[in-house]
Amino acid sequence: MKIVAVTACPTGIAHTYMAAEQLEKAARKLGHGIKVETQGAMGIENELKAREIQEADAAILAADIAVQKRERFDGKRIVETSVQEAIKHPEAVLERLARP
Amino acid sequence: MTRVPFTFPLANGLHARPASLLQELCLRFDAVVVFRNSRRGRRADAGSVLELVSSGTMAGDPCLLEVSGPQEKEAAQALRAFLRRDLLQAEDNLPPSAAPGAGEGGWLPPFFRGGALRLHHGRAVSPGIGRAIAVLRQGRVSMPRRFASGRKGPAQESRLFREAMERTMAELRGQAEASGDPVAAGILKAHLAILSDPRFGGKIASRIAAGRLPAGAAIEKTAAEFAAAMRRSPSVYLRERAADIDDIAARLGETLYGKRRDAAPDLPPGGCIVVAGALSPSELLSLDRRPLRGLVLGEIGSTSHTAILARTLGIPAVALPRPALAGIAAGEELVVDGRRGLVLEQPGPALRRYYRLEQEHLRRLEQRRARLAAQPARTRDNVRLEVAANIGSVAELDPAWRSGAEGIGLFRSEALFLERDGPPGEDEQCEAYSRVARTAAGRPVIVRTLDVGGDKRLPYLRLMREENPFLGYRAVRFYEEHGDLLRCQLRAILRAARCGRLKVMVPMVTRTEEVRLVRRLLADAAAELRDRGVPHADSVELGVMVETPAAALSIDLLAREAGFFSIGSNDLLQYTMAADRGNPRLAGLHDPLHPAFLRLLQQAAAQARKAGRWLGLCGEMAGNSELLPLLVGIGFNEVSMAPGRIPAAKERLAELESGECRALLRRVLAAADATTAAGLLGEFNARGEAGEAISAELVRLDSPCRTPGEAIKELCCLLELSGRVGNSAALEDAVWKREEAYATDLGFGFSLPHGKAAAVKSASIAFLRSRKPFHWSPAGTPVQAVLLIAVPEKAQGEEHLRLIARLSRRLMHEEFRAALLAARDAAAVLRALQQCLGGG
Repeated sequence: MKIVAVTACPTGIAHTYMAAEQLEKAARKLGHGIKVETQGAMGIENELKAREIQEADAAILAADIAVQKRERFDGKRIVETSVQEAIKHPEAVLERLARP
Repeated sequence: MTRVPFTFPLANGLHARPASLLQELCLRFDAVVVFRNSRRGRRADAGSVLELVSSGTMAGDPCLLEVSGPQEKEAAQALRAFLRRDLLQAEDNLPPSAAPGAGEGGWLPPFFRGGALRLHHGRAVSPGIGRAIAVLRQGRVSMPRRFASGRKGPAQESRLFREAMERTMAELRGQAEASGDPVAAGILKAHLAILSDPRFGGKIASRIAAGRLPAGAAIEKTAAEFAAAMRRSPSVYLRERAADIDDIAARLGETLYGKRRDAAPDLPPGGCIVVAGALSPSELLSLDRRPLRGLVLGEIGSTSHTAILARTLGIPAVALPRPALAGIAAGEELVVDGRRGLVLEQPGPALRRYYRLEQEHLRRLEQRRARLAAQPARTRDNVRLEVAANIGSVAELDPAWRSGAEGIGLFRSEALFLERDGPPGEDEQCEAYSRVARTAAGRPVIVRTLDVGGDKRLPYLRLMREENPFLGYRAVRFYEEHGDLLRCQLRAILRAARCGRLKVMVPMVTRTEEVRLVRRLLADAAAELRDRGVPHADSVELGVMVETPAAALSIDLLAREAGFFSIGSNDLLQYTMAADRGNPRLAGLHDPLHPAFLRLLQQAAAQARKAGRWLGLCGEMAGNSELLPLLVGIGFNEVSMAPGRIPAAKERLAELESGECRALLRRVLAAADATTAAGLLGEFNARGEAGEAISAELVRLDSPCRTPGEAIKELCCLLELSGRVGNSAALEDAVWKREEAYATDLGFGFSLPHGKAAAVKSASIAFLRSRKPFHWSPAGTPVQAVLLIAVPEKAQGEEHLRLIARLSRRLMHEEFRAALLAARDAAAVLRALQQCLGGG
């Protein structure tokens, strides 16, 4: 599966990146392709391109604050979760994508 | 009549200390001086401290002095000089108020909640932590009722009042001399000035003499009038001065009625916290300070003299609203938290542990401060720049040495000569210089020879009045005519030089002949001492104070006669810019960043270096830490400043790198104007230290902490002790606010608390491992390793943020966590972290 994701936590110092790392690790393990955009204290990094979003099967928004440029995912299949959930149970989050 | 207009310069308004200086000066002349504040439409007799203070004058008010009478000219001239110099220094040595930033707005970390029987939010008045039992002290809010009832007729009451005045003044004088602390002495002297104010005493006396009121009632009524005038002032600072009037009146009344103040109840020797609704400065001074651990006060301003004294004496203090104060019972255990502005009644075991940690931390901070003060001042790349103190009297020596002065770069000897009918004798001067030399214990002391004439006049030195005193017959220019006076001073210095490293510096030099003259006088003085058989040093080093462009441009020539140079930047700037620095309309011209002035300094330094001469800088510019990078770039050997500025200068210096400073200087010298130069300098100063985010001193293994509160506190304290965070309590609060959003434990025995705070100077990481795992959050698993991340409020440079992001990601990998958990020492932790931070 091709997945795009965004992580964003309140201070944007640590949890945003931990969640990104966890999602990437779990996706690799489960054999998915993933690209994670981080919205942290340094602004948006590893920004998702329109084509990447378009080609993805689904999107994960792991955020404790409002996701910037959320309209990019309009019409996409979205799984929303908290940053903490993505850190603690990344595989469970990915498994939710598999469910219809 | 002569009019002297000026803009009032002091941030705290015209309060008792500057007012007493102004009054003192006015009373020295046979002249009437009227003070007018045109913004507030107030008029005051400048001979009256009380009237001056009651004028409610604030910083920036347009003011006018009207001088008339037989000595009109002299008085006006002295006043102009006063406004230009002494007035500006009236606020220099105030200790800083309690650090703001923590505990504001009533928010506290969660472990405070329910941790004490009662917890009161107040205002931090003096920093520090006090923990002891409460001793309640009846505040003397008003005068005893019986003051109102007279005992004798008007004649007898008048006599009693006069005697009480004299006794009280003598007492104050004695206390001021014995206090051994310049701040305490200054406050007592300000009280003395109010007491000796003719408006005050005169009004009381006339009320008694008219038979209308007995002495006690007359004191009470007069004091109440003056205090009320102050309470109406627009300035908080001045309103707080009303307490001084109350204090003086009560003191006077007590002396009058022969009643010793019910002062000094014996404080329990095991330590106590004094709780008092009102505590006057003299009451505070009369308390036994050994068992005193803290103060809980009623309505008191942070600039009241009691507050200033508490800070000077290092007593933690918090001001509480009256209802909270009234609820405190004698004998119960209190914590006074002068950092957060809290008073805790009967703290529970967790908060006791927390405050023990805090006290231990403050002790370490103090040790660090003392260590910094004791350290030789040098840049990061080990370039030495002596940091010395400017002093005007022997009384300022102690604070100078305590703050870490590496010498006295300027001892203004004229204080010994002012305010007297004849010059001080050789023995008296020798005594003063010897004391300075002895306490210096080997550190160099530069004594500036007599610098009067023009602005500072001595009645016994008959100098002609001049149109333009700053361009006139002053300092070295009258040495030839008054050779006796100078030889006497030089003899005293030569004698005292046996006690230490005294050097002589000549002010206002423009020509080599002048230095030669002083050299001749010095030789004569030595010969006289030899003839008299008086022991003295064979020679002292002779230097030049560079205050005129002429001197600055001929250092190479002067170097033939002078062994060292020190730039007097205040006058040099004034003469270079042809702008009187006391004239508010010319304030913009008085800018040390003007290209001409910086070039002049740089050329002077280059000439001094070429001639192999030592070069110092004394004057306001030296004490401005913002300018320090330029001074390092220019290559001074020494900077000499007001003692209070020394620790900051040493700390800033240790952050600078001399090569970067030189590069900055080159850019600043190439700037088209002072504004561009200021921009370049500001940019340089704003740049955070580009050091590592973590170092060995930020790692603590085997920590005894048992709660998240203790772990976070310990890590914040490590950061403050390393100088990376200004106020650890502010960072602690920021971290706890973040924890409230959700706990930062990650599972796997790790927790990653973090916060952004203005108190953080550069993004940093601190690490601890506890002896035993403990619970971080109710739902979480036990935690043993804590990584705390501190980021500045305005995170400059994304490099550090990037490192932290990388670290956060790496923590998700088990090998990394295992390495941190298994690390045998701090070095192993550092290796693991640096590998993670450094490796792409």
